[in-house]
Amino acid sequence: MRHKIFVAVVLTCLWSVFAVAVAQTNAKRSQNNSKSKPIGATTRSQSDGEKRFQTNCGRCHNAPEAISPQEARAVVRHMRVRAMLSAEDEKLILEFLAP
Amino acid sequence: MVARVFRALALILFGLSVAKAQSDIPILSGGAGFLSTTQGDNTFFQPVVAPVLVVPLGENWLIESRADLRGFISRENGTTGPYQGRFFGTLEYLQLDYNANSHLTITAGRFLTPFGIFNERISAIWINKLQDAPVIAAIGTAGGYSDGFMLRGALISNDRYAVNYTAYFSTLSNVTKFESERTTGGRVGVYIPRIGLEVGTSYQRKLQDQRTNSFGTHLSWTPSGLPLEIKGEWAHSLGGYGYWIQGGYRLSQLGGANSAIGRLEPVFRMQQFSRSRHITGDSLPSTNIRRPEFGLNYYLPYEVRLNASYGRQFVSQFTDINVWEFGITYRFLFPLWPGESK
Repeated sequence: MRHKIFVAVVLTCLWSVFAVAVAQTNAKRSQNNSKSKPIGATTRSQSDGEKRFQTNCGRCHNAPEAISPQEARAVVRHMRVRAMLSAEDEKLILEFLAP
Repeated sequence: MVARVFRALALILFGLSVAKAQSDIPILSGGAGFLSTTQGDNTFFQPVVAPVLVVPLGENWLIESRADLRGFISRENGTTGPYQGRFFGTLEYLQLDYNANSHLTITAGRFLTPFGIFNERISAIWINKLQDAPVIAAIGTAGGYSDGFMLRGALISNDRYAVNYTAYFSTLSNVTKFESERTTGGRVGVYIPRIGLEVGTSYQRKLQDQRTNSFGTHLSWTPSGLPLEIKGEWAHSLGGYGYWIQGGYRLSQLGGANSAIGRLEPVFRMQQFSRSRHITGDSLPSTNIRRPEFGLNYYLPYEVRLNASYGRQFVSQFTDINVWEFGITYRFLFPLWPGESK
């Protein structure tokens, strides 16, 4: 009986994490729909930025699925310290994440 | 103690108020997850939230902090009895950064000790491809966290190669939640973008108790055009030495990264530790350990990842146990308040 309750609690936790994730990402997508663009390279600087992203950030983790320009600025500032980016890397990666 | 925590909170609140007046908005990022581990007959569960607060202050200043809030749920007597839980909260870093120029960032406060690549780069639960830290993670990291100051940056960065460095000094602190050891050290890494290879070396000298040295080397290889990632470290200290090497291959070449099979990533890690002499409180295993592990990660939409792994830990010639791990992690990113549209 105790095991069943425990399993139920665990499954509820897992489901809650997933539900929160879906709700949060959907909200962010709809909120930022007008101002954020899909992460992808369309210009030369974005292409350079994508390259810099892959060589500096992509070595450890994936790009975020959706990100607004304001969030991207804070994230890249954070990553400049974490990943020891140069000022040029920071600029190019920001252009890639928030064109 | 209370005064120090109050000062830290006041600093954060001050940073938030200054940041609100600027165009760069603060963010709350990080990871959350629910992890389960079965080692032999012992099973335990860990709900984890690891928020990262980032507060930009003007063009050159930044406050960043990460905490690890973790429950530990296990049976009362290890393998029998009712489940009971304990809660742990750890302040992993709370630092003020100043970008002095393109090649130098000055950091003061509490930071992750830069030794090798695990502690600083891949210890976050949503990044780490296997749930637990390598057994040698305690070598050269002084408990993982340091209170002091640090210089870091990219010495050279161009299309052919990049050289990054860190150098730090940490002071002794016995303040609860801000514990650190008196150490100094640094790390240098060379990255060659064309082949996706980084190699580096780390050094730490402990400036208290037995004044010991720790050395380490690391490598990270992500060949271009292949969704393959290989990372590894070797480290040596007075108490012992060891290595870990880990490979992950995302099956994104089979139908794309967002296909059902392309979201799958098999992972393998081999690690080994040899005890040289017993050092009290060095957080390393008391005996030799060898542990191969196989894992499978599945990247769901919405920044959710499922992972499962199996490892066999050989503690001595006659003792070995199975280690099963399952988990779900979620990577989140919120603005703390709406920023101005650019």
